[in-house]
Amino acid sequence: MTLLNTLILVPFLTALLVVLVPGNYRFVIRCIALLGTAIAAVLGTVLFFKFVPGGAGFQFESSYQWADAGGLRLAFHTGVDGISAGMLLVSAVVGFAAVAVSWEIERQAKLYYILLLSIIGGALGAFASLDLFYLYFFNEIALVPTFIMIGVWGRGDDRNYAAFKITLYLTLGAMVGLVGLIALYTRSGADSLDIVKLQQAIAAKPLAPGLQDFVFFCLVIGFGTLVGLFPFHSWAPQGYACAPTATAMLHAGILKKVGLLALLRVALPMLPGAVSRWGWVLAVLCVGNLLYCGFVAMRQRDLNLLIGNSSLAHMGFAFLGLATVNVIGVTGTVLVMVSHALLAALSFALSGWLRRQTGTIEIGQMGGLLARMPFIGTVLIACFLAGCGVPGFANFAGELTVMFGAWHGLPAVVVVAAWSGLVIGGVYMLRSIRDILHGAPREELREARDAVSWWRRLPFAVLVLGLIYFGIFPNTLANRIRPAAAEVVRLAKNTGPAPTAKAATATPAPAK
Amino acid sequence: MDAHAAQQAVDAGSKFQDLAWMVLAAPLFCGVGGWFFARRNPSLNAALNIAGILIGFVLSVVLLGVVDGPSTATTPFHWLPVEGLDISLSLVVDRLSVSMALVVTAVASLVMVYSTAYMKGDPSYSRFFSTLGLFVFSMLGIVFAENLVMMFVFWELVGVSSYLLIGFWHAKPAAGDAAKKAFLTNRLGDFGFLLGILVIWGVVGTVSIPELAAKFKADHGLLGPMAGIAGLLVFLGAMGKSAQFPLHVWLPDAMEGPTPVSALIHAATMVAAGVYMLCRVFFLYTATAGWPAPLAFLGDLQASTIIACIGGFTAVLAALIAVQQNDIKRILAYSTLSQLGYMVMAVGLGAKAGTPVAAMYHLVTHAFFKAMLFLGAGSVIHACHHEQDIWKMGGLWRKMPVTFWTFLIGTAALAGLPPFSGFYSKDDILAVALESSPILFGVAVMVAGLTTFYMSRLVLVAFFGPSRSDAAGHAHESPRPMTVPLVILAVPSLAIAWFPLADYIGGQFGAHGHAKVVADESARVGVAPMLEGMSAAVNDALFGPFNHNLLAATLGLFAVLLGASLAWAAYGNATKDPLPGLLGRFARVLRNRFYLDELYEGIFIPLHDFVGTVIDWVDRWVLGGLVIRGAHGSVELFGRALRLVQSGNLQTYTFLSAAGLAVVAWFILR
Repeated sequence: MTLLNTLILVPFLTALLVVLVPGNYRFVIRCIALLGTAIAAVLGTVLFFKFVPGGAGFQFESSYQWADAGGLRLAFHTGVDGISAGMLLVSAVVGFAAVAVSWEIERQAKLYYILLLSIIGGALGAFASLDLFYLYFFNEIALVPTFIMIGVWGRGDDRNYAAFKITLYLTLGAMVGLVGLIALYTRSGADSLDIVKLQQAIAAKPLAPGLQDFVFFCLVIGFGTLVGLFPFHSWAPQGYACAPTATAMLHAGILKKVGLLALLRVALPMLPGAVSRWGWVLAVLCVGNLLYCGFVAMRQRDLNLLIGNSSLAHMGFAFLGLATVNVIGVTGTVLVMVSHALLAALSFALSGWLRRQTGTIEIGQMGGLLARMPFIGTVLIACFLAGCGVPGFANFAGELTVMFGAWHGLPAVVVVAAWSGLVIGGVYMLRSIRDILHGAPREELREARDAVSWWRRLPFAVLVLGLIYFGIFPNTLANRIRPAAAEVVRLAKNTGPAPTAKAATATPAPAK
Repeated sequence: MDAHAAQQAVDAGSKFQDLAWMVLAAPLFCGVGGWFFARRNPSLNAALNIAGILIGFVLSVVLLGVVDGPSTATTPFHWLPVEGLDISLSLVVDRLSVSMALVVTAVASLVMVYSTAYMKGDPSYSRFFSTLGLFVFSMLGIVFAENLVMMFVFWELVGVSSYLLIGFWHAKPAAGDAAKKAFLTNRLGDFGFLLGILVIWGVVGTVSIPELAAKFKADHGLLGPMAGIAGLLVFLGAMGKSAQFPLHVWLPDAMEGPTPVSALIHAATMVAAGVYMLCRVFFLYTATAGWPAPLAFLGDLQASTIIACIGGFTAVLAALIAVQQNDIKRILAYSTLSQLGYMVMAVGLGAKAGTPVAAMYHLVTHAFFKAMLFLGAGSVIHACHHEQDIWKMGGLWRKMPVTFWTFLIGTAALAGLPPFSGFYSKDDILAVALESSPILFGVAVMVAGLTTFYMSRLVLVAFFGPSRSDAAGHAHESPRPMTVPLVILAVPSLAIAWFPLADYIGGQFGAHGHAKVVADESARVGVAPMLEGMSAAVNDALFGPFNHNLLAATLGLFAVLLGASLAWAAYGNATKDPLPGLLGRFARVLRNRFYLDELYEGIFIPLHDFVGTVIDWVDRWVLGGLVIRGAHGSVELFGRALRLVQSGNLQTYTFLSAAGLAVVAWFILR
């Protein structure tokens, strides 16, 4: 079994182990979950650094065919390229951090950890899948538990409404996306849902323009909803505000990126005609994310709503990178995906801590907390600075790359992006720091405690160090992403007749 | 990659550039080491940070001796390698960067030594030194950055460390507000800077400064119609960092930070980074003027002309405001603003002459004497138990002799009295102004007079006369770690202009500030020739201004004397400020900084908030309300309607079945 398949399997095996433990052995359950995700995090790190940068095609590839129903072959086909390498790493790491911050969960802990581990396993599976069936399947495995978790362990009075809203949006979105995928498959002439085979079949015989447009919009709306594309975004902030900390971390950090992965794997390379005709739609809608969600974030007094909206604004950069359809822009999108995964997870982990310690999530009711909690406060400052695009943190590298990529085709959007990232982002992030951390310590918050033991600090430290590492060395990511991004762009630009011999050699080797 | 390899081949012979790496690395290394291993031992952490910067200083001195023409220290570290955009962390080592590095490390090490006493007993002593170390590293990054993106990276990092240091006493609400304001105002400038970089990259295709300089040298019209826009956008960055009108409002508030921070960051180095950056990308401003079609009416107007005007305006505005401030640090802050305006004006005016050396020259001299003035003010504040109002001081000159005499030297240098360094650098600017713009020359002379006036006011009120408070009465001289840096800084404040500094920097631009152009550049390279020519140069330097441009020097000196005598008349024996009585409403306007801060707080922030409120409302009630609740509502309505059908009533079911059958039958039999 490849390292990759082991990585996917670890969370599911851990979940199985948890099933076997009696529900009242909360400590044992937690230890098992922590150990399992720690192993996954280590495996993810090993995988990332074993991945050979610069190589074209997929690495750690394996395929197990298990069904051959007439025209449809299904195979458990997994592999890593530059686009998924970083995401697999951060998914495993964020998974570990999410389990680590879940110490406050007391009610129905067994079910909680089973669901949490399924989310982690599902996310890893989705990023590793090279078969659309599995991509979709793992995505649902990861998504469905989040709905349950918001309903059962959620916070606030609105949580049932939020759970309803998020379920409605994401299920409908997934269905629209599925329609697009099925239409794509049936008309492609391929005999499987294998991404590589589909790409080859479509490169050889492009789809009819009308069909391309239809599929493109299905995918953009369907998977765009999952990412929080304007105007299909309004499930996100409220959903995150009501979700338990770990769920918000995984959902905002990791699951959103599956939608972007689907766009990168399918919409761009398989629908070149539609991309050239309708790519601008993404560029227009991402302005909605950048400006609209940025402004909404500015008005929030609830920390979670603020983080939720700001994370939507960051997704604007990811969409902008996709809309550029050039190597710089697409590389930037993947950089944004990876860095935002760490950032969103860190933000929600911190807001979870603050909520637990202060008993409120209203920014106006906090104040002067830096004096009370130097560690959490420092990490929060780092996190918010990363959120407004300060160099030294990974997000800056991603956003900068996207802006460079988009400059030639979409300068006006870049101006908006820069305003959103530098100015609007700066306003709400710094205001929050001022209102939450600076100022005289409040008397009514004297019970608030810092994270003192190394054990409590570990999840925060891991995430913030990840942000700093990729901020100083974005080249470790960029070197891995570049060939994959070039391949995506090559296919997305391939609007002419069937590719020549040169393109064929560049295409990744077919699955075994 | 080709360019990279070629550069490496060029540099293979000379290794001294690699010293620049160590200048940059030493503060970082010691700072990080201190933070991880000596955080619990504050004195050791401070010592480590100081050691790192001292190493940087020594190496900068060495570099000053060996650096010849421009060269690049390349690196295998490619920060962000993407196709068509390869950003590596290379360093540019030339006279400009080395002299700036020297200033930064010299002032920083002295300020750090000073801080060991000033910050004594602060619970966050360690954090202070680590953040200061981060600042010095970032600042040196700006100095040596070889490409615009790396410069932007360090530019932002400098902004962050400034943010952290202004907000150092975070429990003080004013400090938190000031830090936020400083960062956000800078962000407006950075927005322009980033777009400027993108514009340049979009047209030329590279962000490497030496490559850009070479291309601009070959083709002045390289940017075509984008030349003006690019120049102004990049200048916007400088406007933020160097606090030029209308982005100047953050600097006076930044005085909420500890005084050593004000001295190092908000007087000597960071705020000068904007001017340094303009000198670094000076080729942008000597390029052929050009504007895109919508701005075609600007015609031949150079971006540099606009820059010169903004600089001149800032200089006057800030000098006027300084006249009516009472907080010792704020007076110095507005004075810094005014002097920065001077430098920016000099850059803009220098474009015509083809060299910004006057600005760079003033930057260097100003860095030393202004840092000293701030440290002196810190010494006074320290002695008066954190009293900052000059009207509550008085009679300090006897009690704090070292502080007083060094402060006086700084004042003389700032006012521009010969033979203090400020006189020479200011005279260079006056000469440049006289050559290209009589109006701006008039402005510059007026600012010189105002500067002398408010500085004399400060000295007369704070150091002379009777003690006006108990704290001032019991003041005594600060401890030695504070006074020694003052004395050391007094030396360059007095004498640095006696060295052929302007010639040295000017060599890089092929011309220099004084009359004679260096004919043979190779004859003026390195320390040894510098020393040889020193006696002649000292002679030239001491009396140069009068030989060079008699009118400028005389008028400048006249303004200084006028300002000083007016101040003597008004404040020689004053117990309270006579100006409000004389000027009436205008004095109040000055004291309230022309109400500019209030204006911004009344417009910019509320505007954003208003847009935010509207959009938030739309999000909540239109998108969230109508669409979502609408979808929710219609589904529920449908459900309720269906529920009516599910009544459990047999008659209803029978009726519905029959009705259904009838409908089906109608469809079939139709």
